[in-house]
Amino acid sequence: MVKIIELKDINKVYRTQHVETHALEELSLEVAKGEFISVMGPSGSGKTTLLNIIGLLDTFDGGSYLLDGDSVAQLGDRQMSRLRNAKIGFIFQSFNLIPDLNVFDNVEMPLRYRGMKAKQRREAVCEAVATVGLTSRLKHRPAQLSGGQQQRVAVARALVGQPNLVLADEPTGNLDSAMATDIMDLLGQINEKGTTVIMVTHDSELARRSKRQIHLLDGKVIDLTMVDPHTPLFDSPNNMNARG
Amino acid sequence: MFGYQIKNALRSLRRNPVLSGLLVLAIALGVAVSTAALAVYYIYSGNPIPQKSDQLFYVELDNWIHPLDTKSDEPEDPPILIAYRDMIGLSQSDIPTYQSGMFRTHPTVFPNRPDQPPFGAKARMCHGDFFSMFDAPFAYGNRWDKSADTKPEPVVVLNAETNQKLYGGVNSVGKKLQIEDRLFTIVGVLAPWRPNPKFYDPDYGNSSTDIAEIFLPLAYYKLIEPTRTGTTICQGPMGPTLEDLLQSECVWIQMWVQLDSPQQKEEYLAYLDAYVTEQKKLGRYPRPLNNRLLSVMELLRDRKVVPEEAKGLAIISLLFLVVCSVNLIGILLGKFLSLAPQMGLRRAMGASKLSIFIQHIIECEVVGVLGGVVGLGLSVLVLAVVNRALGEAGAFGLDLNMLGAGLVLSLVAGLVAGIYPAWRICRVPPAVHLKLQ
Repeated sequence: MVKIIELKDINKVYRTQHVETHALEELSLEVAKGEFISVMGPSGSGKTTLLNIIGLLDTFDGGSYLLDGDSVAQLGDRQMSRLRNAKIGFIFQSFNLIPDLNVFDNVEMPLRYRGMKAKQRREAVCEAVATVGLTSRLKHRPAQLSGGQQQRVAVARALVGQPNLVLADEPTGNLDSAMATDIMDLLGQINEKGTTVIMVTHDSELARRSKRQIHLLDGKVIDLTMVDPHTPLFDSPNNMNARG
Repeated sequence: MFGYQIKNALRSLRRNPVLSGLLVLAIALGVAVSTAALAVYYIYSGNPIPQKSDQLFYVELDNWIHPLDTKSDEPEDPPILIAYRDMIGLSQSDIPTYQSGMFRTHPTVFPNRPDQPPFGAKARMCHGDFFSMFDAPFAYGNRWDKSADTKPEPVVVLNAETNQKLYGGVNSVGKKLQIEDRLFTIVGVLAPWRPNPKFYDPDYGNSSTDIAEIFLPLAYYKLIEPTRTGTTICQGPMGPTLEDLLQSECVWIQMWVQLDSPQQKEEYLAYLDAYVTEQKKLGRYPRPLNNRLLSVMELLRDRKVVPEEAKGLAIISLLFLVVCSVNLIGILLGKFLSLAPQMGLRRAMGASKLSIFIQHIIECEVVGVLGGVVGLGLSVLVLAVVNRALGEAGAFGLDLNMLGAGLVLSLVAGLVAGIYPAWRICRVPPAVHLKLQ
């Protein structure tokens, strides 16, 4: 099993003048290439913090993190940005599209920071937008799209750079169930093509579509669940539970 | 990448045109005021004749009678003008390439056209070398011959404005013009010529006023005796007649020479010393030898041609620009931080801190450049108003150097205003806003 993520004894503490909050405590996690993982847990359990650390959007206070076999602890901002651009795609709950950019420009953004030539950018953007079925909306602004379409644009943006890893933070949180299913289908397709997907969700039904579920509580992994996606929900006698 | 950052910066400015307009206006006001003030200072302090400013020398001879003028700021300095008799004496030298004594007068000119009344002209009485020495450009005709300086001959050179006024700007060479009670032949008409500062007449630093309208042979002064203007300093009694003045120790003549090489200058200084030593034998020049040759720039510094007010105004105006820039810091900080979620997103997509910083600096510099362009336009208007208020003395404008300086100022202002907000926004942790957006 080739590992894409190896977190070992990760600590993350948020400090204010009077309060210290331990967001993650001695958290260890290994993710193989091509996995589809759901991260679950109550609010404040450290799900988003974990995702931010994995996505190189946040630093950690202790432990080690190997991304694709390379330690990220000593990387500078430029190296970290380059790595993020090359290897990671992000999907957010609130889509995070730039309102005054059209679909093309929104999707193109990661490639701009990669310094890719215009012709290659155009081809890559058109392909990614076609993947999410929005070719006819290339010149539309986000405000002219439905919520589901906006999230599809965000998925296209995450995919356009052909990352090894897609991080999705409650990607269906702002969508109705039909649209959520739609997005989950897309994530499933992405994963089937070999991209590792890590998704934060509160929805256990959606989590069941992943191959593995991680449960966090107070910054610690309390449960690693291997899911058989063909098993009906609420009926998991064969599920393998492991204490993290 | 740079093109993309410029595009982002422009898009950000378009997002809120009113705010962007105010930012541009703030820089524009600062640039307008500072560029206008700097233009005034620049013109005063510039080299008015760079091609030969090191070859032209203003002559000073120390014929003070009293041992020391203790009330003077510079009691060791010789008088700023020389006596008529010394001008005549020095003119005998053939060392200078060119030389000219000169002073201002105010003769009455009687135009040929009946519809034009007589008027008092601002005149400069000088030698014919004046025009060659100061590179005065001729539109028609030429300087008068050396013979006209000695005989003298009734010849006159008009400046471009006077020729326009009297003859509609056509070639008037050869025409007769009545000045005082005599007819003068026009031998030359200058092309527009307004050296600024008017270095050849640095009378107490009041150098940009009193542009000469007509030029007459100095030797003709005795014959027409027009009203003399300018400074006369007498340290002793003086009789009432013109001849008394001409033979007195009163100083009222400016003397310029052109010395093309250091050897020529040395030779002429030795000549001055010999001349004064000779005069001492006649009972003149009681003070020790104190002859001076001041180059153009030395003279302008010595006469403090750059008014202290101009320096002060330039400094204050630059401070005003700094205040404008500093005021923008808060506005830009608010504007930038309001887009922190978007910057967080760009960071997530692979933008480095440096890239975000540069994007915002570019935005500030675009504001700066736009402000600079508008400001330079305003500055031209301000200088036009100043020129109008000063009348003839106002010859301030923006040349390429000042336009360049204005743009540099606007870039610096943009940088000063933007560097802290850009630094702040690039340091915002990206994760903070991604969840909240």
